[in-house]
Amino acid sequence: MQVDGVGGGGGRLRLTVLGGYLGSGKTTWLRHQLHAGSFGPHAHVIVNEAAETPVDDALLGQVTLLAGGCCCCVGQAQLIAALRRICDLRSREGAATLDRIVLETSGLADPGAIVAAIQGDPVLVNHILVGETIVAVDALHALAQLTTEPLGRRQVGAADRLILTKTDACAPAGLAALRATLALLNPGAVVTAAVLGETVVLPALPPGTTPALLPPLPDDDARGPILPTQVRVAPEIDWSAFTLWLSALLHARGDDLVRVKGVIRTPAGRLLLQTVRRVVQSPEVLPDQPDHGQDNRIVFIGRGYRPADLERSLHHFLGRSLPVPFA
Amino acid sequence: MCNACGNPAVPGHWTDAGAATPGDRLRARFHRVGVLNTILRPYGLTAHDDGVVPGIQLSTLFGASVIVQNLSEVWAEAERLIGRPIDPLDARYLDAG
Repeated sequence: MQVDGVGGGGGRLRLTVLGGYLGSGKTTWLRHQLHAGSFGPHAHVIVNEAAETPVDDALLGQVTLLAGGCCCCVGQAQLIAALRRICDLRSREGAATLDRIVLETSGLADPGAIVAAIQGDPVLVNHILVGETIVAVDALHALAQLTTEPLGRRQVGAADRLILTKTDACAPAGLAALRATLALLNPGAVVTAAVLGETVVLPALPPGTTPALLPPLPDDDARGPILPTQVRVAPEIDWSAFTLWLSALLHARGDDLVRVKGVIRTPAGRLLLQTVRRVVQSPEVLPDQPDHGQDNRIVFIGRGYRPADLERSLHHFLGRSLPVPFA
Repeated sequence: MCNACGNPAVPGHWTDAGAATPGDRLRARFHRVGVLNTILRPYGLTAHDDGVVPGIQLSTLFGASVIVQNLSEVWAEAERLIGRPIDPLDARYLDAG
């Protein structure tokens, strides 16, 4: 499947922006599309993560990584510089080696703001043709996000194409209501579905499906902004102890913790841990590799707590008399 | 996802993923229930896991007990027994020296 048309760009690089809320399945979808060759042989992938600890790049292989700031706001200059570098290299080495850039934004990014920034740059506008904006939509959680998050609505509104993910785990009535709601928020977008990256066919929308009622939202949320926090898991805290703390935390604070992500070293291998609110994915066993200081650092993205309290809580909750873990 | 571009997922509840061999799994269960008891004791609850019967037995000091399958159920059941969730971000865990 070719993702969007090639040509007509006057030799310019075609840019595909891939956005979507935290945990909506952007990386899973992209990983499968890259494997399937949907973006062609000459695509360069840029991954932006709001947190300082990159995790997604471990899943994608060779990419340009922009960590430490969301590229629709604080990391925008970094993104523009990276894109200029790529354009410069392409001008010198010839257009044959590269015809497309795929930018996976952070889950906190507004794709509309990124497209506006690129089109407003005097250099990039001559080198880059902004193609499709694809937004992944988590079929399980999107209605809740759209009800409470202005950002979720902005992301849906910016899309040329919406990809519903996790549709296999979603009740048909809920999925139909979500599709009707998305059609109301962004009538122009093409809606498709994918499960773990593989495209699935959506059934016809039942006639008479009513969209969910979305309350008007103020631009700023009273609970404060959603912020990333990095928590270091000390060596004396093993997987059993860590999961005791995390499972209790998710039970008590799952509504505020929109995303938890990181790699933990265990006797069973390097485990990739990912959660979206209270839903925890079965940890993936990642290939073994030397620790470059990124393992055992977990990124929490949420609000409703002081960021520094997470690490303090991890130590005190498990007690100062933590039993010595098994050898 | 197809098996060519994914990594294998660990079966079972996510909290059980950290041990690969039967011996490790058993040691992890004993270690976990020990730490769990230090957490639950201030709330008047105890946990018991003998390593043979699947699940964790949760008891109050008055003798009421229930068997739960995993840690997620432990916290849900503890909330039911205590009347409020055990919150790791509670001030009692943040102010401790």
